[in-house]
Amino acid sequence: MLKRIYQPALFYLAATAIALFVLIPFFWMISTSLKSKGALTAVPIQWIPEEISFEGYRKVFEVFPFGLTILNSAFVSIMTTLVRLMSSAMAAYVFAKMHFKGRNAWFALILATMMIPQQVTFIPLFLVMKQLHLINTFTGLIMPSIFNAFAIFMLVQHMRTVNDAYIDAAAIDGASHATIFFRIMIPLSAPILATLAVITFMEAWNDYLWPLVMLSDQNKMTLPLALSKLSGQYSTDYNTLMAGSLISIVPIVIVFLAAQRHFKVGIQVGGVKG
Amino acid sequence: MQITKRGRLAVILFLLPCLTGLVLFSVIPVLYAFLLSFTDWDGLKPVDLPGGVPSFVGLDNYISILSGEEFWRVLRNTAVYVVLYIPVILIASMSAALLLNRPYRGVGLYRVLFYIPVLTSWVAGSLIFKSLLSPEYGGVNELLGWIGVEGPGWLYDPVWAMPGIVLASIWKDMGFFALIFLGGLQSIDPVYYEAAKIDGANVWQRMKHITLPLLSPVTFFVIVICLIFSFQLFPQVMIMTDGGPHGATQVMVERIYRYSFNYFKMGYASAFSFILFAIIFLFTWLQLKLQKKWVHYDA
Amino acid sequence: MKWSMKWMKVLLLTVAVLAVAAAGCSGGPSAETGAEQTGGSPQQGSSEGGAESDAEAVTVKFTNFSASGDNEKYLQQMKEAFEKEHSHIKIDIETLPYEGYFTQMQTRVASGTAPDAYELNYENFVSYAKKGVLKDLTEFFDGFDTSVLNSNALEAFAADGKQYGLPASFSNVVLFYNKDLFDQAGAEYPTNDWTWQDVQEAAEKIRALGDQIYGIYQPIQFWEFYKMVRQNGGSLMNEDMTQFTLDTPENIETLEYMVGRVLDTNVMPTEAQMAGMGDWDLFKSGRLGMLVTGIWAFPDFSENIDFQWDIEVEPGNTAKATHFFSNGLVINQNSKVAEAAFEWLKFMSSSKEAAQIRVDAGWELPAINDEDVLESYLQVTPPDNKKAVFESLDYLVTPPVVEQNAEMTDIINLHLEAARDGAITPAEALREAQKALEEKINLQ
Repeated sequence: MLKRIYQPALFYLAATAIALFVLIPFFWMISTSLKSKGALTAVPIQWIPEEISFEGYRKVFEVFPFGLTILNSAFVSIMTTLVRLMSSAMAAYVFAKMHFKGRNAWFALILATMMIPQQVTFIPLFLVMKQLHLINTFTGLIMPSIFNAFAIFMLVQHMRTVNDAYIDAAAIDGASHATIFFRIMIPLSAPILATLAVITFMEAWNDYLWPLVMLSDQNKMTLPLALSKLSGQYSTDYNTLMAGSLISIVPIVIVFLAAQRHFKVGIQVGGVKG
Repeated sequence: MQITKRGRLAVILFLLPCLTGLVLFSVIPVLYAFLLSFTDWDGLKPVDLPGGVPSFVGLDNYISILSGEEFWRVLRNTAVYVVLYIPVILIASMSAALLLNRPYRGVGLYRVLFYIPVLTSWVAGSLIFKSLLSPEYGGVNELLGWIGVEGPGWLYDPVWAMPGIVLASIWKDMGFFALIFLGGLQSIDPVYYEAAKIDGANVWQRMKHITLPLLSPVTFFVIVICLIFSFQLFPQVMIMTDGGPHGATQVMVERIYRYSFNYFKMGYASAFSFILFAIIFLFTWLQLKLQKKWVHYDA
Repeated sequence: MKWSMKWMKVLLLTVAVLAVAAAGCSGGPSAETGAEQTGGSPQQGSSEGGAESDAEAVTVKFTNFSASGDNEKYLQQMKEAFEKEHSHIKIDIETLPYEGYFTQMQTRVASGTAPDAYELNYENFVSYAKKGVLKDLTEFFDGFDTSVLNSNALEAFAADGKQYGLPASFSNVVLFYNKDLFDQAGAEYPTNDWTWQDVQEAAEKIRALGDQIYGIYQPIQFWEFYKMVRQNGGSLMNEDMTQFTLDTPENIETLEYMVGRVLDTNVMPTEAQMAGMGDWDLFKSGRLGMLVTGIWAFPDFSENIDFQWDIEVEPGNTAKATHFFSNGLVINQNSKVAEAAFEWLKFMSSSKEAAQIRVDAGWELPAINDEDVLESYLQVTPPDNKKAVFESLDYLVTPPVVEQNAEMTDIINLHLEAARDGAITPAEALREAQKALEEKINLQ
């Protein structure tokens, strides 16, 4: 019976330890965002700012069309997430559950694309976009995410663990691939898809260099671009930077909390299998 | 499932969006970069200007990289990161996932907390760690001081700079991989555990015979991804140390970026990238070969 | 029936994915102001502008970084003043953040989509000019009196005997000092004829004031090094710039002096002692006696410092030498509206109106010699000794102009840092740097 007590105790101890490791830097971020410019590098360090200053936040909200940039960012991030999830899930279903000639070669090719640093394909990709006349459009910004090796790989690894018996049974019942995909694979992959949605959304939300190069129209500017305009050639305001980062985390946290609901679906659906 | 005739069209249609993207936005740019790796293109001059067409230099770029001292130094620095990062991130994120898989109250809150760093951008994360790791004013050495340890110079010490970057990377990535592991843990059928309990298996036996084998596809995924991404570490280096102190944290992609965008040697940078590609490919290929020995796809 | 249903679904799915992606084209929140108006590429936009039947209307696309942050409104003022004078030229301004600016500019230049005119910092200017992507401006110089411009700043944007850019603004580097700390330490204030020896003595007195108080900060990196080498009668390259001369006795002596301040007398903090704190912050916190930095610190310092401070021309050793930073304005080699673009550059660089806007805004220093405008610059204090900004100009030195500029700078920095951290001696550092430069930098 001792187990009843020490097991939870152990759990909370360990979980709290990890949470502290995670939260101390985050706390530092919040504290920095609330400092005045002068207090940033005070000695000794101030864990809690002596004087709370909203200077950083005020400056962030002064960034000209703040509402518009949020709207642009939301549009781009949601579209990117939808496009990537849909196209990757479809591809993953094929790679995980269908046997066809050249499957492994294609899959290897997909994996290999992750191994080339984006820094050298950056200009060539821009040239492709120029050929497609997609420069300075949201389409050009979003389109590349239609193919993402990481997402495909992650989904394939998951879908391979789904028991073939389901699919075979459905196929015998005359279900089409589309039905199997929508009725069986998608629900069974809900937790992974939710994780992927969060990651993709966040990546698109924080993306910097690609939008900077692609968009020359100020009305299309996304949030990270607007925020980085607060730092200049010779100076960086850390309080503004941290305030900006914190504000831009908020939508991602909302997406995360929304997705969180789906993380558990796996348990219920997974229970069927065996 | 064996593919039928009518299935063939399904394969094509299901793959169509992804393969279109693959060809347009990945294969074409990569091939382009591959061609450039045999030229002296500066990455600046457009082809429609006189002298803008880059000239072919054969294997010169590759030879000059491999025969220089810089490549090997940078490779060693990168390897130090990979070797420090991978075991720690595996253990940390798997432990976190195992904790998050327990049915205790408040576990949902912990899940959110663990994930917060993942939601932070690398720019903010790196700056935070840069200030936390400051030997004079930073929190880390202050905390170490409380337990009587005199902290190192971290980012200002050639030996400790890379561990400092590893620490920040663990902070940033742990929640991410923990969530992936958690997804894997949650798709393990509880029936197995019930059966094992009836057989009288203890915690470690269950871990060894049920959890680890059934989690192995996910573990495999995490290892492969970690390897691919850690060889390409970049933003944290640029912000935390900029390659310093005196070159101790110069890594492969940092160099590739410099040659592409600061030194105007795009051909050279492309060659550098394909050498890096060969290294990563070799390791991934080994992983794929070895997976047969320990990864179980069907329960 | 069943069959067609199946295929319909799959087809719909595929189409849906593509449609969702394409939706970005028309469905974006700001689609109306989209591509049609500005043109798929800036260049298209400008060439259309030039070719239109209404020959009056020419649009010049101009991209810059230095207005980002607080100065966009002043750039807007310049644009309005310019367009009032030149009714046939419209300026389309794009202000981008400094972060990533050069990566995006390189991508646009390489893909042939660069704007007509743009801004470059000095470091990148050299490479762009040498690679031949910039227009030689001398062809437009008819009737343009270049003597209104500061000759050093103008010269900085010339390469191979051609003028590839005009200086937009410039900022030179001076010696800032904390009067209160000098008083406490009983040291004399710096004067125009101070030498390294005087600096060292004052720095040691101030360092003695407390464990956390330092005498001087002058970063050990390329920009300071090339200048201090000149102060000691040395040089990084030979006269005709065909050879590096890093490891000469004068240069080794210079680096030994710089490193000695850190490692021997510790009047300047080590990197670990700085621990990520900025040099400005150290000065502002009142714990630093002297700081060598740019005059772009004035607005910040006058706002955030409550002790007495002033500036002086930087001390030399056997000679005097000072340096400056400047951002240049250039024209795209491929621009169809280069002539109109030049009018705009000329206005920003040399007109009295633009200079006055700059001075009033405290947005760096205009690169012109006009005394009226400069007079109003001198009026603003602190610092009291603002004329030291102009006195410094008499000793300006320009860095060596090398095509592989950034690569050279990084190689030198790598070795200077190793010496600064005590990993190797200054002599070793310069010998190794010399070797690495000879290997990697092509001077022809």
